[in-house]
Amino acid sequence: MKWALLSGCIALGLGGCASTVISIRRVPDQTPAADNAAAVASAKAFADAVAAESAPGSAGEAKAAPEPMPLLSPADAPPMYTYDPWERFNRFTYRFNARFDEAVFLPVANTYRRAPRPIRSGIHNFFGNLAEIDSVINYTLQWRLKYGLRSLERLAINTTIGVGGLFDVATKLKLAGTPTGFATTLAKWGMHPGPYLVIPLLGPSTLRDGIGFGADYGAEYGINPAGLYRGNVSWGLGTLNAVDQRANINFRYYSSGSPFEYETIRFLYVHRRLIEDQGLHSREPVKKPAADAPAGK
Amino acid sequence: MTVSACLQLIPFALLLSISAAAAQPIQPQSLSAAGPATGLADSAGLRATVFGTPPQDMATLPAKVPLSEVNIELPWRLPLPEILWFDGKLRVWLSAQDKPAPLAIVISGTGSDGNTKTMSVLRAALYGAGYHVLTMPSPTFPGFIASASSTGVAGDLEQDGHDLYRAMQEILAHLPRRVHITHIDVLGYSLGGADAAVVKSIDSAEGKLKIERAVMINPPVSLFSSVGRLDRLFAASIGPGDQAVELLYRRLYAQIANLYRASDRLELDEDFLFGAAAATLKTDAEFSAAIALTLRLQLIDMFFIGDLYAKTGVITDPKHPPRLGDSLADVQRDLRARPFADYFSGVFAPYYLKQRPGATSASLIAANRLDIIGNILSSDGNYFAQTTGNDLILNQRELAWLEETMGSRLVVYDHGGHLGEVGERQQVADMLAMLAGRWPRSGP
Repeated sequence: MKWALLSGCIALGLGGCASTVISIRRVPDQTPAADNAAAVASAKAFADAVAAESAPGSAGEAKAAPEPMPLLSPADAPPMYTYDPWERFNRFTYRFNARFDEAVFLPVANTYRRAPRPIRSGIHNFFGNLAEIDSVINYTLQWRLKYGLRSLERLAINTTIGVGGLFDVATKLKLAGTPTGFATTLAKWGMHPGPYLVIPLLGPSTLRDGIGFGADYGAEYGINPAGLYRGNVSWGLGTLNAVDQRANINFRYYSSGSPFEYETIRFLYVHRRLIEDQGLHSREPVKKPAADAPAGK
Repeated sequence: MTVSACLQLIPFALLLSISAAAAQPIQPQSLSAAGPATGLADSAGLRATVFGTPPQDMATLPAKVPLSEVNIELPWRLPLPEILWFDGKLRVWLSAQDKPAPLAIVISGTGSDGNTKTMSVLRAALYGAGYHVLTMPSPTFPGFIASASSTGVAGDLEQDGHDLYRAMQEILAHLPRRVHITHIDVLGYSLGGADAAVVKSIDSAEGKLKIERAVMINPPVSLFSSVGRLDRLFAASIGPGDQAVELLYRRLYAQIANLYRASDRLELDEDFLFGAAAATLKTDAEFSAAIALTLRLQLIDMFFIGDLYAKTGVITDPKHPPRLGDSLADVQRDLRARPFADYFSGVFAPYYLKQRPGATSASLIAANRLDIIGNILSSDGNYFAQTTGNDLILNQRELAWLEETMGSRLVVYDHGGHLGEVGERQQVADMLAMLAGRWPRSGP
């Protein structure tokens, strides 16, 4: 009911804005030269990686020696069509999210993007560092202690040398961040994703991933690091966190223009998660698929 | 899983359709049995079509290109179907210079909007050369059909040209004064190339924009014969019906999951998928499947929307059009399995035959060939074209027709396939020379 009221208000607000014939809105500059340089670099890095992997007797192959898991066959693939019993609700939520994004979230994020880069990266790092606490807990629950330790090291380094998390020193020390959450923990414990679920304001998810998201928030709220989650500033910080996340996502609702966008996003979200689950359950030795072997010549 | 992971999915979609072909153990002979399914394409052409211009071969591009998103409501828009509520305004993209400058209007390829990767490259090259740049979606893009088409049934060269021309006038009339335009040129790639030439020819008659030059990049000569060839490519490389698509999906899933399990990634991201695609796409048949599937997915929307507007009842019941909360999964499944020829026979022809008394299916197809402006193309020295010797959307006869018609105003590169040469130093230099009137002319 609350959602219906809120969405009604926002729809009205949108109707008000939509009356002009033309709107011209500056978006972030494009940087073609740098983009192309990055493409050259990543093409080269990829070619090098392929060359290294296909070299006989490389370290990668030696590690994979103890009885490899069998490869998946096409028959093992989950159905192409997604379990979506709440489709009607989901579709309306998707639409609500799109409108909210267009009217509120995206304009705010675009304004935020004009702030100087050091400030933005400081904010981004700060929230990333807070989330590290949750990663430590969840890697432990997943019994992936190697990664848990890495998150713990990151947390320690960035909180101290990185001045409360404003600078990501750990990444520079070759400890790259690999955040995880309770959704992945549930997956590791063998919980099925359940029905597809579009969460208001957050977007595509499944029942399991939605519960995971709630638990992540609950954990942070419970631990309440530095009193940030329950103090007077918590609303402001939460908003800033959301804006920072949005500003770092290159997605625009309905830029596909397609009437099938809901279906496409659902397919991609659910199947991508299923593949990630596959990796989770057999992260240890897997037989190398043929296609990964000598690429190129 | 957080929001960020949820939302970074659109590029993923594109990649998925490209890497889809990775899963194809098709026999090469099934392709050759279908005849010249790929037009002129050879192995290198197919590869270039899938992977595009190698970044190291790119022309020097500017460090920074400002960009504005322009949304405009067009007065002639048809009543918007409920489920297309988000497509009510035409969205185009403008990069304006600070000083008086010529305006280059660039039209996108089949089913695409005005902000594709190819478009970004052309925009950067043109902006760097001192043009204001306005990039527009293809008239076959769902957002254009809903917001700017006067029929709702896209794919007719002349009708689409008129809709584009009107939309351009409306946009230019509403641009802020600080955008000082000295003169206008039009360009387009793929189907957009043909559109650009038609727009210029309309302008020659109506004179409202005084377009100076037009450059076509990898244009089709006949839309329906190009798309027909791609239909055959789909049948040969993927197979008929939805079962073939399902099979393709299963193979693809297994392949990606296996690659992912063998990697030490903690998240399935874009980089990984790029890698997976590049590592697994090897044979002509795999490239063909990638190209065919990408095009099929691009055309599905236009088919669906055309049927919705023309009320032809091929896809949805005109008396009960789909509503907001309705699932479209079955419709999408149905459409994926249909060749483009069904769009012509089920939606396009019935609609235009009713609109144009005396027309026949054959005359409709003929009206969609570039020869409708053949006379102007051969006599007016302000039309130019760039294509490649192995572009799969042309066959020998069509390429010969272009050469004969355009003479020295056509340049044919010996590599690149379809659009795999866009942004290369030579292509950019030639394009700019053509626009600046520095291209050798020897038309009749």
